[in-house]
Amino acid sequence: MQVKIDAVLCSGHGRCAVLAPTVYKLDDNGYNADRGKTLEVPAGQEAAARKGAKLCPERAITLIEG
Amino acid sequence: MDYRASTKQLIVFSIDLYRDRGSDMIEPENHREPESPDPDEIRRKHGEEMRNRFGRDMFNDFDIDDPRFGDNLFPILDEMLEKCPVARSHVGSGYWVVSRNADVRRIGQDWRTFSSAKGYQPNRPAGLPYLMPEESDPPKHTAWRDVLNPHLSPRAVAKYDAQIRADANTLIDRFIDRGECEFISEFGAKLPGWAFFKNVLGVPVDDLDQLVQGVHNGTFAPREERPAHFGKVFEYLGNYLTFRRDQPPRGDLVDTIAAGVEYEPGVLCPWEDRVSILVDLTFGGIATTTYVMAASLHYLATHPGVREALVDDPGSMDRAVEEFVRVFPPVVALGRTCTREVEVAGTKMKQGDFVLLNYAASSRDPRVVQEPTKIDITRESVLHSAFGVGVHRCIGSNLARLELKATFEEWLKRIPDFAVKGGTGPTYETGILRVMKQLHLVF
Repeated sequence: MQVKIDAVLCSGHGRCAVLAPTVYKLDDNGYNADRGKTLEVPAGQEAAARKGAKLCPERAITLIEG
Repeated sequence: MDYRASTKQLIVFSIDLYRDRGSDMIEPENHREPESPDPDEIRRKHGEEMRNRFGRDMFNDFDIDDPRFGDNLFPILDEMLEKCPVARSHVGSGYWVVSRNADVRRIGQDWRTFSSAKGYQPNRPAGLPYLMPEESDPPKHTAWRDVLNPHLSPRAVAKYDAQIRADANTLIDRFIDRGECEFISEFGAKLPGWAFFKNVLGVPVDDLDQLVQGVHNGTFAPREERPAHFGKVFEYLGNYLTFRRDQPPRGDLVDTIAAGVEYEPGVLCPWEDRVSILVDLTFGGIATTTYVMAASLHYLATHPGVREALVDDPGSMDRAVEEFVRVFPPVVALGRTCTREVEVAGTKMKQGDFVLLNYAASSRDPRVVQEPTKIDITRESVLHSAFGVGVHRCIGSNLARLELKATFEEWLKRIPDFAVKGGTGPTYETGILRVMKQLHLVF
């Protein structure tokens, strides 16, 4: 599974990093550190990745099921 | 990436999103809207029903400052979500009210079409200085947020935790032996200001009460009196910023504000904008969190089972904070101005129209939250728009969460058993913000 973090929509709510800290990291501004990137979800972390994506108030995270 | 491209992604993702069941997000299919081609017809059809029930037709003749709105806040929000995605107001130059989560999100994210530069409140009083960065658009807004955000990120505010908890205990010490308190004046209106002044601004807390009063009156006083009240806040904080500009730097948020940002290469922003930044942050820092604290404690005072559950399982506090923020929205609605003709949920808006984003309603939209009218602190996932949506997301959201968590934890440690004082009840004031004016607790 991969997750794509939208470069524009992320507005720094920070929920993804609270709900799935193994998948989503924040930068020094409190925004997703991987904006504009597509990340490989570590094995076993798929549920966390989904949860973090689902709770993004901006819908800035796209799940790409492998 | 332009807005259209990101919208397309959004749709793709939404489909993905709803595939996952067993959560608080629910499938849009369960909430298929009734066929309703003409929004004017819908507003008309339900208008009388609203008038009979609430004393005012909240769909066709809305007024956010009408006490009948504040007195029936949640039932009216739920009616809007069900029957009226876009309500109409004829107050002053008129405005629209958009309530559903997806519509609020779309507007919040599309700052090119829905601008903040003409202010966040409908019928903005003349003579009120603009509040930056709240009442601005990119690129000015982006320039400011880029330098302000690092001071209010989760990592940056985490270092204030111990001080905030110590302050919560100092306030509790003042009334715990009395066995009762008036929560707003003795705690709720104090702690957020202390947290912000001591940790972020470095301002003495002695002057807090006059600033709290200034922003309260600047928000709820008769419209024509509001600029004068805000004027005093501008004067006080302007003096502080000048004082700090002439002091050795401390490397804090105030230094960042005093240094200013460039609006275009080589063009530094005017000094007034820097004062305005300080006012806006102070406004947000002291005028909103109080309501969530107070409404949550009122809820816990009247729901002993929930209170005991929180005391028994402190690990559930993060979820509880999110749920309280969802159901007790201190910011009812903030607005935008249409920069072109646009359609929202079937309603055509003209260039220059003002539209309120009903954050309070959007956080209880059954299309995105299961059983949204139920307060459930054990929700596994809480999706809400209490901190706004889009580039103007509340810059203090991380500090607010920290203050709320610290307050509930320290309060329950010291005062695990408490109730509303007999013969009293909470009183509210509601406009674009909602505040609780009094809450008498006994313990």
